[in-house]
Amino acid sequence: MINEQLAELSNLAVVVAIVLYVLALIGFSADLASTSQRRSDARLAALDEQEGARVLQTASVASEGGAPVAAAHSRDGGEDPAADVTTAPAPGAMTAQKFAFLLSMAATLLHVLGVLARAAATQRVPWANMYEFATTSSALVMVAFLVFSIKRAELRALGTFVVGPVLLVLLLAQTFWIVPAAALTPSLQNSHWLIIHIGIAIIATALSILGAVVASLQLLKGRHEHALAEKTAAGEDLPEHWGRAGHVLDRLPSSTALESLSFRIHSIAFVCWTFTLMFGAIWAREAWGRFWGWDPKEVWTFIIWVIYAAYLHARATGGFRGSRAAGLALAGFVAVVFNYTIVNTVINGLHSYSGL
Amino acid sequence: MNEKKHGNAPGADTPGTPDTDTPGTDIPGASSSWSSKPEVDGAQATMPGLGLRGTLLFLWRQLTSMQTALILLMLLAVAAVPGSLYPQRSVNPSLTDQFLEENGKWGEFLDALGFFEVFSSPWFSAIYLLLFLSLIGCIVPRVGVHLRQLRAKPPRTPSRLTRFVGHTRIELPGADADAVLEQAHRALRRSRYRTVVREETSSRSVSAERGLLRETGNLAFHIALVGVLVCIAGGQMTSYRGQVTVIEGSGFSNSLTQYDSFESGAWFDEQDMPPFRFTLEDFRATYVQPGESGSVGEPRSFEADVAVTTPGDPEFSQTVQVNKPLHIDGASMYLLGNGYAPEVTVTDPEGTVVAEGPIITVPLGDVGYTSQLVIKAPDAQPEQTAVVGYFLPTGTIDEQGPRSLYPDSLDPQLALTVHQGDLGLDSGIPQNAYEVDVSTLTPVAGEDGNPVLIRLYPGQEFELPDGTTVSFDGLRRFAAFDIAHNPFERWVLVSALVAVGGLILSLFVPRRRVWVRVRSTADGALFEVAGLARSDDPSLEADVHALASKLSTAQDGPLAGNGTSDDERLPRAAKDSSEGSAQ
Ligand code: HEM
Repeated sequence: MINEQLAELSNLAVVVAIVLYVLALIGFSADLASTSQRRSDARLAALDEQEGARVLQTASVASEGGAPVAAAHSRDGGEDPAADVTTAPAPGAMTAQKFAFLLSMAATLLHVLGVLARAAATQRVPWANMYEFATTSSALVMVAFLVFSIKRAELRALGTFVVGPVLLVLLLAQTFWIVPAAALTPSLQNSHWLIIHIGIAIIATALSILGAVVASLQLLKGRHEHALAEKTAAGEDLPEHWGRAGHVLDRLPSSTALESLSFRIHSIAFVCWTFTLMFGAIWAREAWGRFWGWDPKEVWTFIIWVIYAAYLHARATGGFRGSRAAGLALAGFVAVVFNYTIVNTVINGLHSYSGL
Repeated sequence: MNEKKHGNAPGADTPGTPDTDTPGTDIPGASSSWSSKPEVDGAQATMPGLGLRGTLLFLWRQLTSMQTALILLMLLAVAAVPGSLYPQRSVNPSLTDQFLEENGKWGEFLDALGFFEVFSSPWFSAIYLLLFLSLIGCIVPRVGVHLRQLRAKPPRTPSRLTRFVGHTRIELPGADADAVLEQAHRALRRSRYRTVVREETSSRSVSAERGLLRETGNLAFHIALVGVLVCIAGGQMTSYRGQVTVIEGSGFSNSLTQYDSFESGAWFDEQDMPPFRFTLEDFRATYVQPGESGSVGEPRSFEADVAVTTPGDPEFSQTVQVNKPLHIDGASMYLLGNGYAPEVTVTDPEGTVVAEGPIITVPLGDVGYTSQLVIKAPDAQPEQTAVVGYFLPTGTIDEQGPRSLYPDSLDPQLALTVHQGDLGLDSGIPQNAYEVDVSTLTPVAGEDGNPVLIRLYPGQEFELPDGTTVSFDGLRRFAAFDIAHNPFERWVLVSALVAVGGLILSLFVPRRRVWVRVRSTADGALFEVAGLARSDDPSLEADVHALASKLSTAQDGPLAGNGTSDDERLPRAAKDSSEGSAQ
């Protein structure tokens, strides 16, 4: 029944994918580091220029000096012209980011192959235990990220923050949760709800991960922008905040853009969680004879759902929009992680069989 | 961003500060007192007038505000947490008892607070009841407003369009103002906008609106949530659920007396139980065998063949499996457990058969299905007798005692001891049929004075020194089923489906307004287009621009460079277009 060769192939593919992800992560981080370096250089150059200008005509600079600053910190998030002024690489040259992006594409391809090989080896959907759930949902996170950022190149700057968590999940899966490929236990057999319920749960989880990444960046970027704005208001010409990390943040889309991206991801995630909850309930009725029984997994899915509902309300409520709502989105993500890790391994419930 | 003023009367909601309604302007604190119900919040600001009525009104408004809903939602999430951390009585009573035993005073304290019955505790109930009260208080007025809005015409075109999304102004020399307006009107209608043409002092305009379905969906979603709750409550009052254990070859008929345990809601009526009966013809289980992938002994499949009769219908057979319940009108039957029922005969020293037939054994939960067996023979003479021990499907007896190595019955055997004395059945305290307290009984001992250990294979008989005999005559399996019915179940599902449908509409249908104003000029027509997003609506600007270029090209062929403009570039764009069209 189990094709052992395919199972081994799957394992191998995932391991190689991990190696490629590590390289991609290094690439993305190097890119962030180098752009923040470039940013510093640009800033120094700008300062020098200003110094020079000041010497020549002290009076007029004071009023016009604001222009380059505004450009250097343009809030619209897109490609920032100032980023590439000094050491902009020749067009077509392999930048660290491009390299990392290609690497992560290759890694994702292998990762997806690994998941598919596992499915072929076991002749069923590849999401019947924690290991499979983790490998499949992290593959989905990567696919979603690549799809988003093939069209919108500015999103590639988020690479570090997506590949990082994906790598973490894969390492956890490969070291702690790995189980040999096996057929299904009776409680998981005979049910198309296995495909539907868990399939949707995987999409929901992947979206929650992406949403959390975007929401945390939104929070950081929001603070950063605020600090910069204050410094500008206080009369600083080239405000600095959070040093190199700040330069990294400068490259990201504006907090407003991140906020609306986060909202879009979370609203789809919320719909997926709603379906997860409903399909889970339908399956529970088929398997256990009741659609709801406050099993720990049910409780936590309910908690996730309620927190995300609170997020949507917060976003529509004065005084809660922006950072506070983002905080709720992150709380929802904490619940997702708890539901996946602690509830599966520590708390004893009907879902325990799906665990290790 | 994404502001919606659900409570606003139609027509009265021309925004005072259009910027806050444009996507991309999330100004924290800019409208901190904003809520979806502005009128209500206005009332909040003023302190309640003295008097009961005023206070009640104040409280009601507080309760139905969005902030309160938000806080109650968060409370609900937090309050559910202990329900997953502490063993719940409704889920697993024996775990609760164990926890109470291990934790003494602390356990009692938690118990008093309801931590073992979180989901029926007063505090949990209070939170969700308040939430739903708030929800109802919130929806009722919104339904009224929305119904009026559905019937009303789109609101008046704002007098200054320059500050709205995608504002574009284009001059069309030689064009006829009425024709342009008519064309705009048609284009908007075709894109499924509700439109109205307004006559203004020196111009005419089309005011168009789309996406009322968003609010419809939102209301449907919230109302359906109330529906879910009501149907769940209805189900709790009327449903029933019971457990039965059936041995191969035996039958069951659906009446209260046949259940091992049974629970039902307050409005449940025994008369409503469907009078079906069934026989368990065969039960099969397969397990992972050595050499197969997976861990040896792990279950692979459980199948119970049942022959079912319902009044007035011919008998039919079905294989009930995990995930494949038996559904009949008014009840569903789920396979939830199984085990072995060895056939054992016990005769007392006087030669009377005191126990005979298959005995349900209780699996201890190990991989090998080591199962506990208890036979009580109160009629045995000269003393009441209890036979206790283990059934081992693939047995071995070693230093660890008797145990089973594999769950299938490859080498079935019994390992038993016999005890005599007062079984205590007359004390009036109800006893568990699967347990006996042997501490007050005397084990039947052999010549060496040690209790006699009986090991029996199928077909064998064992005679104890006192003349009691025990024989292992054969082996059957048993299946444990849950039989349950909840008349409201399907309505819970229907409400839930309506809820997701509404949710999807309410999240993904953009709600927006678009205006086109046309003015006759000395040498033709001048038109302006602009839009207002009333929800997240990233494509609004592009759509407005598309409409503008469509109107300008339709009038006199493609015009260079006048497709788009926005408010900052307005004067130049207007100039560009007049130049462009002057060519
Ligand atoms: C059982 C409790 C509740 C749940 C699970 C819930 C859930 C939701 C969800 C998922 C949305 C998102 C749809 C959207 O954003 O358009 C939403 C929107 C909304 N809810 Fe609730 N809700 C609840 C109670 C309430 C209450 C008590 C109120 C009134 C105070 C309320 C007022 C609203 C409003 C006005 C919106 C539209 C928000 C917006 O503009 O995005 N809800 N609700």
